[in-house]
Amino acid sequence: MTKRGKALAGFALAAVLLNLVPTLVEATDSPGFYITFMFTAFFWISQAVSWNILTGYSGYFSFGQGAWFGIGVYTTGILAVKHEWPFLLALPVAGILAGVAGLVLGMVVFRLRKLGGEIFALTTLAVAFVLASVARLYSFIDGGRGIFMTSTPLPEFLGDFRTAMFRMTFVVAFLTLLAAYLIFESRIGWGLFAIRDDEQVAHGLGVPVFRYKMLALGTNAFFSGLMGGVWALQIGFVTVDDVFNIRVPLFVILMSVLGGMKHWMGPAVGAVIIYTLTDRLNSAGLEDVNQIIIGGLLIVLVLAVREGIYLRLRARWKLALATFLAALSVWTLADLGSSVIWDFAYASLLTVGVTLIPTRARRRTEVRSEGPPVAVDEEASTDRGPG
Amino acid sequence: MNEVLNQAIVSGLLIGGLYAVMSVGISLTWGALKIINLAHFSFILLGAYATYQVSNSLEIDPLLALLFVLPAGFLAGVILQIFFEFAKVDEFQSLIISFGLFIILQSITRTLWTADFRRIDGANNPYESMSFFIGDIAVQVAPLLAFAAATGIAIGMHLLLTRSYFGKAVRAIVDDPEIARAYGIDVRRVAVILSGLATSFSAAAGVFIASYQSLTPNMSLGWFGIVFPVVILGGLGNAVGALGAGVIVGVAAGIATTQWGPLSAPLVTFLIMIAALLFRPQGLFTRQGSA
Amino acid sequence: MIRSARRNLQIGALLLVMALVAAACGGDDSGSDTTAAPTSTTAGNGGTTATTAPPATTTTADPSAGEPIVVGGSLALTGFLAPTAAIHKVAGDLFVERLNAAGGLLGRQVEWDVRDDESVPDQAGALYERLISEEGVDLILGPYGTGTITAAMAVAEREGFVFPHHTASLTYAYTYACHFPTWPVGLHTNISNPNIVYDALVASGNPPETIAFVLNEFPGTQLIGYGPPGSDAGGAISEAEKRGWDVVAEINFPTGTSDWAPIAAQLAAADPDFIYMGALGVDGVGLLTALDAIGYAPRGHFYQWPAPGPMLGAPNAEGAFSVATFEPHAPFTDDPEAASIVAAFDEAASAAGLPYTAFETQASVSWAAWEVLIAGVEGAGSLEHDAICDYLVNNPIETILGTVDFDPAQQNYYGDLSVVKQIQNGEWIVVHPAATAKPGTSPQL
Repeated sequence: MTKRGKALAGFALAAVLLNLVPTLVEATDSPGFYITFMFTAFFWISQAVSWNILTGYSGYFSFGQGAWFGIGVYTTGILAVKHEWPFLLALPVAGILAGVAGLVLGMVVFRLRKLGGEIFALTTLAVAFVLASVARLYSFIDGGRGIFMTSTPLPEFLGDFRTAMFRMTFVVAFLTLLAAYLIFESRIGWGLFAIRDDEQVAHGLGVPVFRYKMLALGTNAFFSGLMGGVWALQIGFVTVDDVFNIRVPLFVILMSVLGGMKHWMGPAVGAVIIYTLTDRLNSAGLEDVNQIIIGGLLIVLVLAVREGIYLRLRARWKLALATFLAALSVWTLADLGSSVIWDFAYASLLTVGVTLIPTRARRRTEVRSEGPPVAVDEEASTDRGPG
Repeated sequence: MNEVLNQAIVSGLLIGGLYAVMSVGISLTWGALKIINLAHFSFILLGAYATYQVSNSLEIDPLLALLFVLPAGFLAGVILQIFFEFAKVDEFQSLIISFGLFIILQSITRTLWTADFRRIDGANNPYESMSFFIGDIAVQVAPLLAFAAATGIAIGMHLLLTRSYFGKAVRAIVDDPEIARAYGIDVRRVAVILSGLATSFSAAAGVFIASYQSLTPNMSLGWFGIVFPVVILGGLGNAVGALGAGVIVGVAAGIATTQWGPLSAPLVTFLIMIAALLFRPQGLFTRQGSA
Repeated sequence: MIRSARRNLQIGALLLVMALVAAACGGDDSGSDTTAAPTSTTAGNGGTTATTAPPATTTTADPSAGEPIVVGGSLALTGFLAPTAAIHKVAGDLFVERLNAAGGLLGRQVEWDVRDDESVPDQAGALYERLISEEGVDLILGPYGTGTITAAMAVAEREGFVFPHHTASLTYAYTYACHFPTWPVGLHTNISNPNIVYDALVASGNPPETIAFVLNEFPGTQLIGYGPPGSDAGGAISEAEKRGWDVVAEINFPTGTSDWAPIAAQLAAADPDFIYMGALGVDGVGLLTALDAIGYAPRGHFYQWPAPGPMLGAPNAEGAFSVATFEPHAPFTDDPEAASIVAAFDEAASAAGLPYTAFETQASVSWAAWEVLIAGVEGAGSLEHDAICDYLVNNPIETILGTVDFDPAQQNYYGDLSVVKQIQNGEWIVVHPAATAKPGTSPQL
């Protein structure tokens, strides 16, 4: 089997196994919240991974995730509630509309070659604010009244609300990861990373710069919007302020930077870690210090893991896996955590912590004195792209 | 209606000055030091709350808080920049770290003063709705003071950057920090001082805000939508540009509000911002290709 | 490259399998339950579990008499709804403290497990899910604010939990049979509420001829102003027109507006007899400050849901009207119980650092929600949600707002109990209807 074949088989295996989770949770009479926890994690995975397809791969920093997310949320809101479309029909439209909006932005913005770096970032931010204003202004969208999603009928085969959310978010997250993987491993991915390094050079090398950037942006927008469309149900009462704010755009940045932007899996790992962290801190009821802990951890982690947690984990995967399994077993069997999520949280944090411990190969100042020059962070250099 | 429009334009001009003071700090650090410091919003907020606290506890004029807030802000900026220098961060990372700091400071603010609304006691605060009239047009003093400060900052920074050694050093660093270092410029010291200045400006903005608005910790999030357009229109690192951009944003919002309703104002502001980004990304007030 | 791809698969698959195994084990060991009947309650603190009863196989009527009853919920302790949610936190804490001091509920102490939903609806929904299914709370109480309440209500409905709540403004939208609102504005609040205010203006003897509307673009205030979306029932504006008043301005502003100068200029030019502001929080203060700066003082003004403390300090605030459900003065404090609550709240709010410590509308609706919950449980004699729901629907409940009789024909609403208050001599006092007005006062216009 080819490498790609193996990877796809892995995806398929993951898909099958994960689909069993809701059934498993019910069969073992476990708290339904586990399902909610997982599908919220899927939400963030999809948002972070799709964002990274543009920003991480091509280097075009986007502040505009809120725009695509918002378009997705409002599309299902308008079509499924105001016009009573079947939800599953409205959902792909959400993704498509967001994707088209992304492409339109790309048409305008990528044609102007001066537009790099921070200027592009701020343009995307502006787009999100413009959309928010437009939604506020026009009552066929929102007009300040909000949209109640709570009585939206869902097809029976999806199961009850929680299971339906799990399945839908799972499918979208799965497709997002698949897309991120396929792009990463393809010529397009190589081209995007070349653009990230130096767009002029890439162009000179014959990379169809415009087309690739459009693809990345369109894919980003599509999946973000698609997941947004599903998420409208979880929000319950959709309003402009709740949807078009900086929460989603900022968190996808945090998750991706933390997880690592140079690999397709990085943002997914970052998403799981940050979401687990915020969820458990909230669960522990530490409101006052909740935010301080998150802020502090962000600072520490960003400084400690330059290339992102995922690559660090992968570089020392045996250690990571061993730690994780050991911790998980200890916590579960000794019943130290009052729920599986706590077990998972502690195990994950321990794993991350352990892999952060510096080893000889990680000391930045070390230089090999004999032999050919070798990159200092040897273990991590199996990542995609330079540095 | 004409009267209303004229009033809106004048008010917009004045509040543009406040917007400029709010934005010039983050613009300077972004343009000159390539650091996107989201903690600036926290410094504005803390400047505002410090003013509230000082004014209420000591029963003094809120503007006197500047005496305390400016040096405190400067110090905060110095410390922050030393930290950034030490940690050797790039633009992305500075964004994340400063966001972490922003969250922490927001949380501290909320713990100290609760989330409930705070307002300087009218007995100590003459500026709340103080204004004078030029003909039929009212000129509100609180934003006027901010406008004056913004003008001072703009002129001051311009002179500093063009006429002083320090300014030359800054411009050299913006062009190429390595070469600047090679020419003997103490890059670290220049960066630290610049950061201190920038933060003290942000803290000063807080003083003006506290002089006539109600405070709540979450209000800092609402400033993103004001500051970023001003920063872009004005050009990164351009203090004069910040003033011009602030005025444009304030006046445009004022005109839009009176002509098409308040809901249209953010739309107009951001469309202007997008237009500027597309057609003149260096800002309306920066010469092509300069910092 | 081949090695790395394989590595990914291996890690991913292994992690997945382990997680599933852990889930299976966790489901048996941790003894958490998904049903409403309490068998054990774990407080969900990281790493520590309360003593748990042996895994329940049957539900018993009194399984653990010594265990506290846990009421779960969330509040917007951070985020843009935080300023007012702070009041609800103090009110809830005080209620539970007094309840426990008086013997608790069904002979057990009560614990309020309240979390921060950050003013974010999807987070509120997830929180209630977690509280109900992972942490196994016995009862729930709603959060603060329409968006979060809506999300939480959906969860309550799915889980079959009784849902008392206190500040959901979009009355027409709530159809869950077991939701119990203590925002006592009636199902058709868009008609009833403005009319109560307008009646007060008429009662002053000097009703306006011209009126201007300045409405926050927030769903609640839009409902009051215009009626439910897609219906022609109308609201404050059309009701004013019905009285023959001339609408000289209709301005809608985005939530979070901080620059009031242009709006003030427009209002001053329109120069209405009366300004009806669909205001939240400090909107009114901002507007009055801006009006004063251009030398204009309103002749008559009303603010829908202002933060009461800051309004008192605004320029030209004297004479401002608003709606209320309770004010800490006679006749509301004629009841000694109410008076004692007012005093205790003042103390608790000061201790919590709140700048305005009066027990008024917001605190009172919160109090009433708790009263409803407790009355329901006591009436049903158990923690079974069906029984509680039945009891509440079929019996009138005494609360600090008065007698509340949930009417299923009106989606569990019961008419508009709002009264009109006005700032007179630097204080908020209720002035209309006469029966509820502070003795010796009346609306001044």
